Amino acid sequence: MTETSRLLEQAAQITTPWGKSFTAPEANRLDVVIDANDLPAAAAALNAACWGYLAAITGLDRGADDGRIEALYHFCAGAAVAALRVTTPRAEARLPSICAAYPSASIFERELSEMLGVTFVGTPDVTPLFLPEDWSPDAYPLRKDIDLSQPNTVPVRPPPTNGENGKHFIIPIGPQHPALKEPGHFEFSVAGETVIGATVRLGYAHRGIEKAVEQRNWVQDLYLLERICGICSHIHATAYCLGVEKLAEVTVPPRAETIRTLFAELERLHSHMLWLGVAAHEAGFDTLFMAAWRDRETVMDLLEQISGNRVHYSVNVLGGVKFDLEPQHIDALLNGAAFIEERARYYFDLVNHDPLFNRRTRGVGVMTAEQAETIGVVGPTARGSGIVRDVRVEAPYLAYTRCPVEPIVETDGDLAARFSVRIRELLESCRLIRVLLETLPEGALQTRMPRRIRAGEAISRVEAPRGELFYFVKSGGGEMPERIHARTPTLCNLASALILSIGRPLADIPMILVGVDPCFSCNDRTATIHTADGSAEDETWTWERLRRYGIEATR
Amino acid sequence: MRITTILGDMLRALVRRPMTQAYPAVRRDAPSRLRGQLHWDPEKCTGCCLCVKDCPADAIEMITLDKAARRFVLRYHADRCAFCAQCVQNCRFKCLSMSSDQWELAAKDKEPFTVYYGSEEDIHALLEKCAARADQALPAAEP
Ligand code: SF4
Ligand code: SF4
Repeated sequence: MTETSRLLEQAAQITTPWGKSFTAPEANRLDVVIDANDLPAAAAALNAACWGYLAAITGLDRGADDGRIEALYHFCAGAAVAALRVTTPRAEARLPSICAAYPSASIFERELSEMLGVTFVGTPDVTPLFLPEDWSPDAYPLRKDIDLSQPNTVPVRPPPTNGENGKHFIIPIGPQHPALKEPGHFEFSVAGETVIGATVRLGYAHRGIEKAVEQRNWVQDLYLLERICGICSHIHATAYCLGVEKLAEVTVPPRAETIRTLFAELERLHSHMLWLGVAAHEAGFDTLFMAAWRDRETVMDLLEQISGNRVHYSVNVLGGVKFDLEPQHIDALLNGAAFIEERARYYFDLVNHDPLFNRRTRGVGVMTAEQAETIGVVGPTARGSGIVRDVRVEAPYLAYTRCPVEPIVETDGDLAARFSVRIRELLESCRLIRVLLETLPEGALQTRMPRRIRAGEAISRVEAPRGELFYFVKSGGGEMPERIHARTPTLCNLASALILSIGRPLADIPMILVGVDPCFSCNDRTATIHTADGSAEDETWTWERLRRYGIEATR
Repeated sequence: MRITTILGDMLRALVRRPMTQAYPAVRRDAPSRLRGQLHWDPEKCTGCCLCVKDCPADAIEMITLDKAARRFVLRYHADRCAFCAQCVQNCRFKCLSMSSDQWELAAKDKEPFTVYYGSEEDIHALLEKCAARADQALPAAEP
């Protein structure tokens, strides 16, 4: 019995008391239909048995005829994916929250409640996550019957707060903030120096892509999904292609698989180098920032040379890839990999041995392996805490099945560990690029794809630079998909930054956030301090007094 | 304790040429595979419209003047194009290609972004037709 089937069997056993039906839509999947009221118990049982982690919650509107909303709670362990499927009436959609067992579910539940109008009973945070303030509270974008000819807006509602009205000081950061590279809104409630509450409001760059894909054909969707992210464009397209090809039962030629993998590794190189630069910048090490970005250009030039574009390389088509590798590209790739390798070694020494830099990273933002497990973090953020969580290793896809990946893991769990993981991954990616080129199969680049995709559901998981990217693709048998759900790694990791920040001094927050990759630094320092219990009168401090307080508090 | 510093790198950078390029003073050639403006060669086009069907950005319109005589005009909207090359993939007769030379696509108004391809005579005929029906919408593209 393989490890995966053993895991699935175990999942079936754990959920037996509540399971109404068990099906296996794919070899590595198990769907368990349960009653909505049993959800917290079943989730708690999986959690108690340490069976995997909550990867995503997908909501499906089954339409007016069926009259139900379905929610799929995907749990992943190794290559195995177990889904708890529950339904709730459309007219009065209510589901119990599973945040007691899985605190990271909060963000997923917020997403589902605003997108499909499901009320979560007992969820800690009911504020909107993605939709704008003036979006009508009764318009649910992912319901099939939403009237898109209407603007669906209402007079602006008051901005979100995290509920501590006047009792504690709330430090808002964003959406427009010099330290944020992308718009996001964080609110940290503080009692003195200590953070006691943290919330996030996303969606300032929300483009409604998951809805838009339902109105375009399978090919057009590829390019729309590719544009979810400018850094990991290729991996989004790859995850989508793998899902659709699985549904269509199309096998991609081996040469195309290798080229896809190669681009994924090049993408990891430039993404990690971008992160290194930004993280160094946030720590005040601007020379390293400049150097890392200068060297990153090597990778960007390679991508442009082979595909014709620096950002949206658009290498994928459904059924294969567009661009072939010529001998001169292979030479350029080998030279590029050798250069990056040499630089990565140097960076590794630098971030581990520069005494000043180390004071900003060692022992900062420590996340233990247990914490990482409960929160359900993915990618380098998890691997810095000693968890071997890498889809390329656990559930190899594409050419990773032929060229195994060595997982890079560090155990310290602090920011320094996350630096080490990402820099060592640069070395591993360079090694992989060499192996992929050595074993590049000959042959065709594409196979024919049908225009209509067989009805069914597919899950594809790939390792993006920031961690596991999870795609759920559902086809109704037509030329357009019925539902595509993309769960990006940052959504998982962001929850970790919020949860970990509770109880920490405010000065640690930028570092904790930078570690997961949506990096931003320096909070606004405020000169008004409320005492922890909120009882004493407020005092206004002078800048000098605040400075002295800061020096003494961190001594 | 071993100390690695970035000083050496900084000193080397001092004597090296700048990494930034002096564009637009110096215009370097783009890589030969660069995906710039789309070009259409009407010679072999059958008017099958597969290119139009999968364009994610609605950037191409195939206008049929006379199907039997294979008279088509392609109206390309460079400002909508996402430069994904799906149309190039879709065309079975290799009528479409992307220029590696025309990539400086910036202008002060929208007009230069609508490009007509086809024989001069056909484009002329189409534009005249449009002008004659100036109060009406432009002829609809073949679905
Ligand atoms: S390159 Fe892409 S966006 Fe541009 S015309 Fe062709 S299919 Fe449309
Ligand atoms: S796909 Fe090619 S042959 Fe068909 S209409 Fe487009 S350019 Fe013409």
